[in-house]
Amino acid sequence: MESTAAQDTSRARKLQVLGILSGLTAGAWLGAAEAPTKLVSIGVSPMVISLIMVVGVFLARWSLPALILGTSSVRADVRRAPHLIIWALLAGCLWAVANTLTIFAIRDIGLSIAFPLWNSNSLLGILWGFLFFNELRQAGWRRWAGVLGGALVMCVGAALLAIASSSEAPAAHSMRGVWAALGASVLWGTMYIPYRKAYLTGMNPLSFVTFFTFGELGMMSALAISYLGLAPLWRELMGARDVLFWLMLGGFIWVVGDLFQQYAAKYVGISRGIPLSNTNQLWGLLWGILVFGELDGRGASLYVQVIGGSLLMMLGVAAIAFSSATGKEQSRWKEAARREGERYDVAQDYVEARMDGRQAANEAKPSRSALDWLLVAGATCVFVVLATMARVPQMSLRWGPAALLIAATLVLLLVCGAKLWRTTHFH
Amino acid sequence: MEQNGRTEQNRSWVAIVLTDVHFWVPVIVLVGGLLLLRIIR
Repeated sequence: MESTAAQDTSRARKLQVLGILSGLTAGAWLGAAEAPTKLVSIGVSPMVISLIMVVGVFLARWSLPALILGTSSVRADVRRAPHLIIWALLAGCLWAVANTLTIFAIRDIGLSIAFPLWNSNSLLGILWGFLFFNELRQAGWRRWAGVLGGALVMCVGAALLAIASSSEAPAAHSMRGVWAALGASVLWGTMYIPYRKAYLTGMNPLSFVTFFTFGELGMMSALAISYLGLAPLWRELMGARDVLFWLMLGGFIWVVGDLFQQYAAKYVGISRGIPLSNTNQLWGLLWGILVFGELDGRGASLYVQVIGGSLLMMLGVAAIAFSSATGKEQSRWKEAARREGERYDVAQDYVEARMDGRQAANEAKPSRSALDWLLVAGATCVFVVLATMARVPQMSLRWGPAALLIAATLVLLLVCGAKLWRTTHFH
Repeated sequence: MEQNGRTEQNRSWVAIVLTDVHFWVPVIVLVGGLLLLRIIR
């Protein structure tokens, strides 16, 4: 009996570490996703840039799950919990509207004010996690201080970094920009309700994202058509032929980051997972400064701001990472999972197994079919064709730091991917 | 017969989603976001 309890505790600790590592890997990949988009400096409208990235995201969200587990696993998940399709579509719609709002926010108030405003989504995530999913219940004041304090410190650090990395002049419509950034924050913070809902009822993150992307692409297409009109949109897409590859590559890299973010939300909850993956700002800045030379020739005070902001963000991350959920808090998570399972009539053993990162006893082993290979081949072909059409950007890049950052990002992918495989087999 | 059963089952989980208070929070936020987008345009 005692040894079973010890095994449970050890398993729970492993999953916590896995969730934290997933959050940090998500930050690195989400930050790296900005790099290909920086190569695009032609006059394409922000709405079209966003739409093209979402098309890349769509391809990745179908081909990666097909490659990792196979679509049979997605179908099995949907049969067990069909209601999650609605939740995934809803989350995708929230993402698309939030992303569009950020375009307005950046245009009206600049990245320096907009980024910290929408990064405050982590605070909303903590609130929803506490209210709806028993997160941080019976966690004790130390963990509360670690998570809430860490998220606040990260927001301050993010503000410093954003001010340092921005050179935009104050715009004429500042209040409009503030509302847009706050709106994006609320939408993104609320988007994690469907995420957590899905993982508490056992859905695999790989299955969730395949439906999420329909909401994302559908809403983004509707917004782009309603803003620009069908014919002008098509003309802009055709005009951007030679940069399609870079933008879609950005979308693809973003999906890898988002997959790890999903695993973080699953294993450490949204209250901890969101702030950890918000370290993407730090990685984005590293790419900007070291590879694209964005702060070259600027004063020493700016570098002090950047270093100070980065240290604050790392401090916040450390505070959250060391505030992992205790046994009591985890038993409250399980209560929430039981409640969801009963509500949606999902078998308890399946929910428990999936919460534990295992395959349920009566679950068939996932396998890949010809359809999966077709999906992977199709997505690869699209990327290869677009790569042949792509124009190599005429800009000076520092290849040394780029190679280092790529290596660090790949190491995180390999380490976290291998750990996910060993511990959960991606369940 | 089987099809009727499946339709009823589908209807029942749609009904459960629609009566889940957690569902309406993101829906209200989404509608608010779309309204905000319309206003700031």
